[in-house]
Amino acid sequence: MSDPAKPEDFANRPFDELVAELQRIVQALEAGNLPLEESIARYREALRLHAAAEGRLRDAELTISQLGRGLDEAAAEASSADPEV
Amino acid sequence: MPPLPDQAKLWETPSPAPRILRVSDLNRRVRVLLDGDPALADVWVEGEVSQPSYPPSGHCFFTLKDAASQVKAVLFREELARATVRPEHGMQVICHGKVRAYEPQGTYQVYVESITPAGAGDLHQQYEALRARLAAEGLFEEGRKRPLPRWPRRIGVVTSPVGAVWRDIGNVMRRRYPIGELVLSPTIVQGATAAGAIVRALHRLYADDGIDLVILARGGGSLEDLWSFNDERVVRAVVESPVPVVVGVGHESDVTLADFAADLRAPTPSAAAEQAVPDLSAFPAILDRLRDRASAALIGRLTDRRSYLAQEARALARLLPDTGAARQRAAELVDRGHRALASRTAREQAALAGLGEALRALSPAATLERGYAVARLLDGTIVRDPAQARIGEPLEVVVARGRVATRVEGTAGAQEELLR
Repeated sequence: MSDPAKPEDFANRPFDELVAELQRIVQALEAGNLPLEESIARYREALRLHAAAEGRLRDAELTISQLGRGLDEAAAEASSADPEV
Repeated sequence: MPPLPDQAKLWETPSPAPRILRVSDLNRRVRVLLDGDPALADVWVEGEVSQPSYPPSGHCFFTLKDAASQVKAVLFREELARATVRPEHGMQVICHGKVRAYEPQGTYQVYVESITPAGAGDLHQQYEALRARLAAEGLFEEGRKRPLPRWPRRIGVVTSPVGAVWRDIGNVMRRRYPIGELVLSPTIVQGATAAGAIVRALHRLYADDGIDLVILARGGGSLEDLWSFNDERVVRAVVESPVPVVVGVGHESDVTLADFAADLRAPTPSAAAEQAVPDLSAFPAILDRLRDRASAALIGRLTDRRSYLAQEARALARLLPDTGAARQRAAELVDRGHRALASRTAREQAALAGLGEALRALSPAATLERGYAVARLLDGTIVRDPAQARIGEPLEVVVARGRVATRVEGTAGAQEELLR
């Protein structure tokens, strides 16, 4: 079990890690063998992870980039005979 | 085919003088004749390309010939773009198309719809031969196929930057997986030079070690259109990929050799995008379920703890003596004691008070005050009967204010004498 993350760490962590961490906490809580105080701490962390992951989804916008080279070929094709395929 | 009425008349009307046709009429007659032959509308012809020309129109004109004959051929721009080979002088080819007359020139020619290299059999045979060879080499084995990363961060896409495929892939990603990044490596996807371009586009992505997954895609088309994806170089480039490759080419029924080499074969370009990434549209609900499970687990934990404490308390209560009841009994006893004591004291005080009155009434002092005396022997015995006193015995006579010491002189009988 990793140390509980600080909320500010969540912004830099990939979405799937947030979800995986949330899943680990849920499983640990469900196993029911944590001391009560730690259960409460873990639960608080679960709420923070949930909020972070949910926010990530809400604000997500697909990033698109293009490798620079090869555009000449593509452009040649676009201007010549490439039908809409 | 029935001849056209006016032309029929030209030929069938007997006339001593030959009918003189205009050139246009003749050429038109020939064109109509050729157009009416279904065999010429769908013809396959094999020959050698001679003197191809590529004017600015984008079309390709050439002569197709064998040892004895030759025929003109044209490959229009659209067909040329889709062709897997570019006609070159001396090339042996098989052309598929139709034969038509060209009225202005009085020639007929092959209007080529597809052109493939001859000698290696037709496209299907070539496909099967290459598939068998590469399969024998193990390139298509299931064991080679790698699982896709569940959460790819950067996804490389090799396809044409124009057209529906790239747009569709972008739309699928925006809908399902907007947290990802698409990296387009543009390429042409048809024509004689496409295979080399596709290989270069793939290797550009391979050189970027931040790419987690590659999608190779192209929209639907004829066997010839998709031919680049059966090119051995493309197949090998897919196999060489350092990261998993998803191939989605054409429609469901189109299976190219690149599909066989892929780590995952998708039926269409959009399906390739869908299979490459998880669908995050379900995740808000998944996240909420996880949070609810965490809440339920914690509530359960607290409830357990509370009932555990209650249980402990009950167990302790069983172990300890019931002090409460004992205290109560003790208190009751004390109360009763107090009450008992209080009433007895009161009774005794009352009794004592009565006794004091009685004592005062009985006190001899009051009698002595009235003049009576008490005679006592030396041992304190009060003399009530003369018989008690012997002659000469000392007597103490107690009066109200003191004692008188005397001696018995004599005794007499009854009390009456004294009162006389």
